[in-house]
Amino acid sequence: MSLARRLAASVREDAYNAATAPARAYDHARYTVEGMRTGEVDPTEVAKTVLITLGALAVVSAMLYPIYYVFIAALQGEGATLYSPGSDLFVPSEPTLEAFLWVIGDIAVSSYEIAVTIPATGYDIVVQTPAIELLDVSDYGVERTSDFPLYLKNSLYVALVTVTVGLALVVPGAYVLSRRQFVGRMKVLYGYVLFTQIGGGLGIAALIALYLIFVNMGWTNSRFMLGLYYAAVAVPFNTWLLKTYMDSIPVSYEEAAIMDGASPARVAWEVVLPLAKPGLATVLIFIFLAGWTEFVIANLMLEQQFQTLPVGLYALIGDYTIPWGRFSAFALCFAFPIVLVYLFAQRYIESGLSFGGMEG
Amino acid sequence: MSAISGAVQRSRSGYEAAVPETVQRWLDRNGSLLLVLPGLFAFATFMLFPLVFTLFISFTDATSATIFQGAQSFATVEIFGLSLPFGNYVKLYADPQFWTSFGITWLFVATSVGLKVGLGVFIAMILTGDRVRGKRWMRAIVIIPLGLPGIFTITVWSGIFSSARFGLMNRFLSAFGAGPINWLQGSRWMAFLAYNVTEMWLAYPFMVIITVSALQAVPAELHDAAKVDGAGYLHRFWHVTVPAIKRPVLFAAILTAAASFQQFLIPFIFNQGGPSRNNELIILYGYKEAFQQYQYGYGAAIMLTAVFFIGIFMWINVKKGRLAEGVDDE
Repeated sequence: MSLARRLAASVREDAYNAATAPARAYDHARYTVEGMRTGEVDPTEVAKTVLITLGALAVVSAMLYPIYYVFIAALQGEGATLYSPGSDLFVPSEPTLEAFLWVIGDIAVSSYEIAVTIPATGYDIVVQTPAIELLDVSDYGVERTSDFPLYLKNSLYVALVTVTVGLALVVPGAYVLSRRQFVGRMKVLYGYVLFTQIGGGLGIAALIALYLIFVNMGWTNSRFMLGLYYAAVAVPFNTWLLKTYMDSIPVSYEEAAIMDGASPARVAWEVVLPLAKPGLATVLIFIFLAGWTEFVIANLMLEQQFQTLPVGLYALIGDYTIPWGRFSAFALCFAFPIVLVYLFAQRYIESGLSFGGMEG
Repeated sequence: MSAISGAVQRSRSGYEAAVPETVQRWLDRNGSLLLVLPGLFAFATFMLFPLVFTLFISFTDATSATIFQGAQSFATVEIFGLSLPFGNYVKLYADPQFWTSFGITWLFVATSVGLKVGLGVFIAMILTGDRVRGKRWMRAIVIIPLGLPGIFTITVWSGIFSSARFGLMNRFLSAFGAGPINWLQGSRWMAFLAYNVTEMWLAYPFMVIITVSALQAVPAELHDAAKVDGAGYLHRFWHVTVPAIKRPVLFAAILTAAASFQQFLIPFIFNQGGPSRNNELIILYGYKEAFQQYQYGYGAAIMLTAVFFIGIFMWINVKKGRLAEGVDDE
């Protein structure tokens, strides 16, 4: 509860900062202009700053242009193409949300029948809840909708397994690797560092055997096993990451808690874990994304009705053409939540990533 | 409360009675190992075991017709009168397609890592510059591509490199008067260039994050001292900034080199390693042999060859780059 509240407060603060940024920039600019008029600020210095800032903005815009381009394509609806001379490069001429409606589909709560038998009287009370239709896309001319909701459901299921199992495997391991001594500790750490680098590609290298194992065990089409797989391969990198983060937490806090008579489990739970929150957030996001965005293995293992969002996205690509409008809208609906999480979690990601072995 | 502690007491004494003393002593010293084991076990099941199993398959002539019935047999070859199960490997190293894949993979590692490091450091330098206003916001949005799924970005880039006259890249070229290029199906090197640009774009946010945090760790006093001594911008960059960020950037470069070596999605989505199998990076080569030709044994031999080389490469890097330094810190 308090965690949720703190998270909400932090998001609110970020949003407030983002919203008031233009006002602050305006104040700053006015102050500078004022300074130039009174001769306190050298105009050439200001010009240099403005030019360099504009240059940096240009570089950032150029790097992000492909994403913007996709956004434009999504707004052009079904007829969008990236190939025609008329397709817009910067501003969509006739923006339409049709492609997004196609992705989302109808939003409706179907009607349920609730039957209650009153004991001893034999009477039944039957209540029919009304169907609530929040959005009917056929009103907007979209007849057949995408399978996005199905893929989303599958992806959420897989991600739930991945994150739950992944955190259960990573957090205790990282804690004892950081704080305790035991036989084989160095070997485990060394092995984890090695696999940290090799990561995802080894998954594809082992794909042939993995596929044969899954087929033999009857695990193909099992979203649960797929989630388990993502969690398992995320272990080395994330354990290492969290371990190095925990290493940076001073031991003196724990010593104080032990002096006060706290049990080892309580020290871990109430001292180390709260202090390791930025590291935990980083690890949570990495574990989540490992499964959320994985394509190759999901594509190979799952049949259509179990497929996850990346596979669904790939399925939109035809042999000769890509329906860019729909593809872009689908992709943006898929990626946008991740980007939002990223933006808000970024300070944690950065502090979590700048871990021990990497600083000069 | 006392009931619980009583139960704990009872189970404790039960534990002491049942478990031999030597085991108890070992557990007291190494009990924390039990918290690492689940992760290790899961990883071993889903990663190490398949790798070992790949080794086994690579010795067999497994195809889709045999492996599921357990009817595969060893792919043997006569060496010095002995019948050894290296048939797939002998065939593989005599296959010119293997050497094409192998060569282009290493070339891709070399070129793409250079581009990634260059672009990453360039952007990081800009976004930590003293004169740049709003750099925190720019840093926040410039790493957005990191959050985008690979399948999404790679498909978008394959559209950008469309051979059509009005593909984005061709439009860009036509602004300079250059004609439309058939990027992915025309010339081998144009497709290779497209791979590199895409890989660079995929990896730059990671390089920026690492480099920015390294740059911020450079003490401002060092720069001030160099300025007082009259050092110019380039001089300061070379003698103050570069030594300070060398190790983190090297670390990131090694990680990203591993990613380049194992690049699969870009050639898979762009043109299946074409034109005419010229750009089949090694993992894609193994994948196609296994899942398009159903030659599981042959594919496994390719995959293991890749794993072998990347293993050596990584091991050298860990030794030289002192990456595992944190392991030895107590």
